[in-house]
Amino acid sequence: MSSAAIHFDRVTCRYGRRTAVDSVVLDVGAGEHLALTGTNGSGKSTLLRAALGLHPLAGGSVTVGSVAARTRAQWAARRRQVAWVPQRLSPGRFPLLVDELLDSGGHPPAAREAAAGLGVAGLGSRPLHTLSGGQLQRVFLSRAFGAVAAGAQALFADEPTAALDFAGQEQVARLLTRLPVTVVVVSHDRAMARSCDRVAEMAAGQLRVI
Amino acid sequence: MYRLVDLLALPAVQRGAAGLLIAAVALPIAGVFIIGLDIIAVRFAVMHVALLGITVGLLTGADPTLCGLTACALAGAGVAPFARRPSGLPGAMGLLMTFAIAGALLVLSLSGVNATGAFELLWGSILAVRGVDLVVLGVLAVAVHLLYRRHRRQLALLLFDRELALCSGVPADALMLALLVVVAVAIGAAIRLTGALLVDALTILPALGARALGRSLRSMVIWSVVLGLLGSTVGFTVALLVDQPPGPVLVLVAGALTLLTYLIPEGATDARPSRRRADRPGDDAVPVDDRVWQH
Ligand SMILES: Nc1ncnc2c1ncn2[C@@H]1O[C@H](COP(=O)(O)OP(=O)(O)OP(=O)(O)O)[C@@H](O)[C@H]1O
Ligand SMILES: [Mg+2]
Repeated sequence: MSSAAIHFDRVTCRYGRRTAVDSVVLDVGAGEHLALTGTNGSGKSTLLRAALGLHPLAGGSVTVGSVAARTRAQWAARRRQVAWVPQRLSPGRFPLLVDELLDSGGHPPAAREAAAGLGVAGLGSRPLHTLSGGQLQRVFLSRAFGAVAAGAQALFADEPTAALDFAGQEQVARLLTRLPVTVVVVSHDRAMARSCDRVAEMAAGQLRVI
Repeated sequence: MYRLVDLLALPAVQRGAAGLLIAAVALPIAGVFIIGLDIIAVRFAVMHVALLGITVGLLTGADPTLCGLTACALAGAGVAPFARRPSGLPGAMGLLMTFAIAGALLVLSLSGVNATGAFELLWGSILAVRGVDLVVLGVLAVAVHLLYRRHRRQLALLLFDRELALCSGVPADALMLALLVVVAVAIGAAIRLTGALLVDALTILPALGARALGRSLRSMVIWSVVLGLLGSTVGFTVALLVDQPPGPVLVLVAGALTLLTYLIPEGATDARPSRRRADRPGDDAVPVDDRVWQH
């Protein structure tokens, strides 16, 4: 298992004419664990989504390993390279089983093992829309751990503990700390921030304090 | 009973029954895709796109049916890019529907092609199905099944959430394109072969019932085919027995079946209670050990 360095180079993102991310420069070393904090609406989610090709870059680039994705194939490779826990966990428009979600990370056995560790092993044959918010978050985390086992070199987790109970928050912070890949975790949780190597803060689309 | 046996001996009735059977094992799956993509307007849209294509065919002397189907395929491909926006597809389908109606009427009027003639090419009847139509239906059925079987997991993810699909290595745009083209051509051909009314009974109605009964794409597909087969067999038989046109009778039977599925309490089929200990999320004290990352 290897980890990749990530380089955000003057990343700018817009929604219409509003600039959500404004020329952000940020380097995350290979294997480093970085907590990204900041006020609501400061552009954290947009920054990470842009790095995955889920939001268009209005300027700048994001390099993972040594590749700055440009073509469709490169973006597809990027999304295999970086596991992702979205902030808005979609219960979806259409039924999907918990097992189908776990398997989609690319390493079903690892995802199921992670699900067992996170206490959601018995839910495999349930459709996602029947889960509670915390259960859904645990399942998405397990999927991401599966993706890491499948060879992803980094993990982006956007408020991965927002819906979890206290024990769950501590457990996930511990699990993320032990993950041997580069991690960028958006969190408003102090304990999570403390368990990371470094904390970066965003405000109004810009990176403030490192 | 004798009457039914006599009727079934007629070649037209036999071909109709065969056509219905082929349609009933494939079109409900297209219906599940339609419900999953939230594009119920597709039937109306495709009908008018086909009309437009047929008119162009009549004008240019090219084979009208072929032109109609080509127009359907192009229309399906044309709306595919809208799927990139959240909820862009239902809106695009609505737009396509209005444009296609206006376009078809305008082209008919401009060209002076006999409108009834064009419409007649569109309104098929299951009792007028020819041998060659059965072949077309068969090819379509195979295409729908192939698309589903080859890409079941990917389709489940794509219908669930486009971004999750993208993050799971699904070629979302290409698959969406294939999905929409197959759905549009299937609907277009089915309208030509079975009539517009029957298309609803074979696509949307079984799929709506399956939506109420199924817990996943797979179970919905199975339920939709079961409901489609049941609705068409019962409907066709009743239509023959009471000597009425199969279209409306079949729609009523399929509609009644769908209505029945709505009587099942919501969630009754979702949550099979699991007796396994791990179903209790409170018991999560066991940390995932490091083995997980060592695969
Ligand atoms: N789909 C959208 N359309 C328009 N504006 C958007 C959209 N999504 C986000 N924004 C705006 O972009 C800015 C950055 O949003 P973003 O979701 O990146 O913030 P965030 O830092 O993740 O906030 P939070 O802590 O609340 O999750 C906000 O001002 C938000 O209102
Ligand atoms: Mg956010």
